[in-house]
Amino acid sequence: MTTTMTPMPSTEHGSAGFRHAFVSEWTKLRSVRSTWICLVIIMIAGIGLSALISNLEAGRWNTITLAERANFDPVRFSQAGIFISQFVVGVLGALVVTSEYSTGMIRTTLTTVPHRLNVLFSKKAVLGLAILVVGEFTAFASFFVSQLVLVAHGGKTLPANATILSQVTAKSIPVVSISSPGVFRAVALSGLYLVILSLIAMSIGFIVRSTAGAISLFVGVLLVIPLIINILPSSISNHIEPYLPSNLGLAMVVVATRKTDFAGTLLGPWHAFIILVIYAVIVMAIGGWLLQRRDA
Amino acid sequence: MIKVDHLSKSYGKTLAVDDLSFEVKTGVITGFLGPNGSGKSTTMRVIMGLDHPTKGGATINGKRFNSIKWPLREVGALLEAKAIHPGRSARNHLIALAQTNSIPKARVDEVLELVGLSQVANRKAGKFSLGMSQRLGIASALLGDPEVLLFDEPINGLDPEGIRWVRELLQSLAKEGRTIFVSSHLMSEMALTAQDLVVIGRGKLIADTTVKDFITSNTETMVLVRSPQLAQLTEILKGLGGEVHSEDDGALVIAKLDPAQVGDAALKAGIAVHELSPQHASLEEVFMELTSESVDYQGQTRIEEVAP
Repeated sequence: MTTTMTPMPSTEHGSAGFRHAFVSEWTKLRSVRSTWICLVIIMIAGIGLSALISNLEAGRWNTITLAERANFDPVRFSQAGIFISQFVVGVLGALVVTSEYSTGMIRTTLTTVPHRLNVLFSKKAVLGLAILVVGEFTAFASFFVSQLVLVAHGGKTLPANATILSQVTAKSIPVVSISSPGVFRAVALSGLYLVILSLIAMSIGFIVRSTAGAISLFVGVLLVIPLIINILPSSISNHIEPYLPSNLGLAMVVVATRKTDFAGTLLGPWHAFIILVIYAVIVMAIGGWLLQRRDA
Repeated sequence: MIKVDHLSKSYGKTLAVDDLSFEVKTGVITGFLGPNGSGKSTTMRVIMGLDHPTKGGATINGKRFNSIKWPLREVGALLEAKAIHPGRSARNHLIALAQTNSIPKARVDEVLELVGLSQVANRKAGKFSLGMSQRLGIASALLGDPEVLLFDEPINGLDPEGIRWVRELLQSLAKEGRTIFVSSHLMSEMALTAQDLVVIGRGKLIADTTVKDFITSNTETMVLVRSPQLAQLTEILKGLGGEVHSEDDGALVIAKLDPAQVGDAALKAGIAVHELSPQHASLEEVFMELTSESVDYQGQTRIEEVAP
């Protein structure tokens, strides 16, 4: 059979490493339909829900109290759709790993690399980049579409140095510009929030190795744990709540100069971002350790 | 060359492989034979670095799997035919594998052609029959043009034409000087395909030999004779130390004597012989007998476990 075959490049130098695994994982990610379905849902659901929430909030402007007007946050409303997107991001992150376990493909994958961790790192890098592009697109598109919705309701752009007080006393719905202090950071971190969540979901996939288990655990962390913490006495829950992943995400999109009713209970945006990254590193370390240690 | 060295592997309390040692030589096909559940797949998974050995280990060309720099180009394996993402096309599946080891894309089309899947290369692998999946698995094993090849039950799900194709492919690969290690639970298939044999039962080595030696040392050759003077012939053969059995259709089957001895004795006594033919116990029977102990033992353990 060798006579007709394309010659192989030399095996003398290098080894099958991260770079090769990365290219391969990209081929794998783009060659299944579920990836594209998830990515489209992340964008459509994210942008659509953000626009919808902004529309609903804008429609209430004339009927709400001054206190509520103080809490009217055009940035946060514009990122409301991320709430839905984060679950789809989690599904995709888990699937990239668990679909390999459910089909047995992981055993083929692991026989292509000398070092198992390169499978984990390359999967993380490929999905992380894909979600970075789609997540940031979703976050910025959500922001601009939502501001257009507010403008359509008669919203006016606040001056760059606007405070909450000027928002309450202004007659019209507040609209913010991307160049207002903290706004760009809030929207960009919103996209990064999705990136980190996809990586956490992937690590959970390596830990539990089943699609249903990984998705349940991911949704549980985002939805169920906050409910449980909420039942606890506030003397305890007040100390835990700021560190819940969902609240870290919220903290990342709050604009510090436009403090709202959340502000007191949330960490600062960069502080929140770092804590979330630490969570991601911890679950990745557990997933990587188990990947190395367990039989495939 | 593959070397398995005092390998033991247990899953919880179950000992799947028990102090197994053998070598797989280059340039020949080595059959890996054992009943279902005897530890063949476990052994192959350890060789391929998927399962961690409890004791001992395995090397490929003197190296543990995880110290091979370009795994696909040194060792190709078909472990599970259906271990493919069902939504990915055969071609994309192979491209992704090729990329991990810097294998030129042209090879993907070449191996697809070789296994006869070119026509369906862009179809989703989930729509493949078991036979097509086996062919795709073989294609992925051959992708890196490796010197060492492992196939776990490669003929499962193949039609007779496919089985012959696999047999011929393995033989041509061996002729190229490759190391071929192929498992099966079918002795008859191994007799046709392999030159060397490693037989295991319940994770233990039963035989490490050549197919030829395995057959001669484990099969008793019997001789079948037909003659119009059966009674007379029976007496003479018994006198020579043969064990004579009468068949229902009037033939005699003699053990412990070879055809020449039977023929010479008949000639000497002037007895007409209408048929004289050597009879081999089927390999399947030999294999069943050899492994029956382990299989029986398994059955008994199960019964004991079930009993209160």
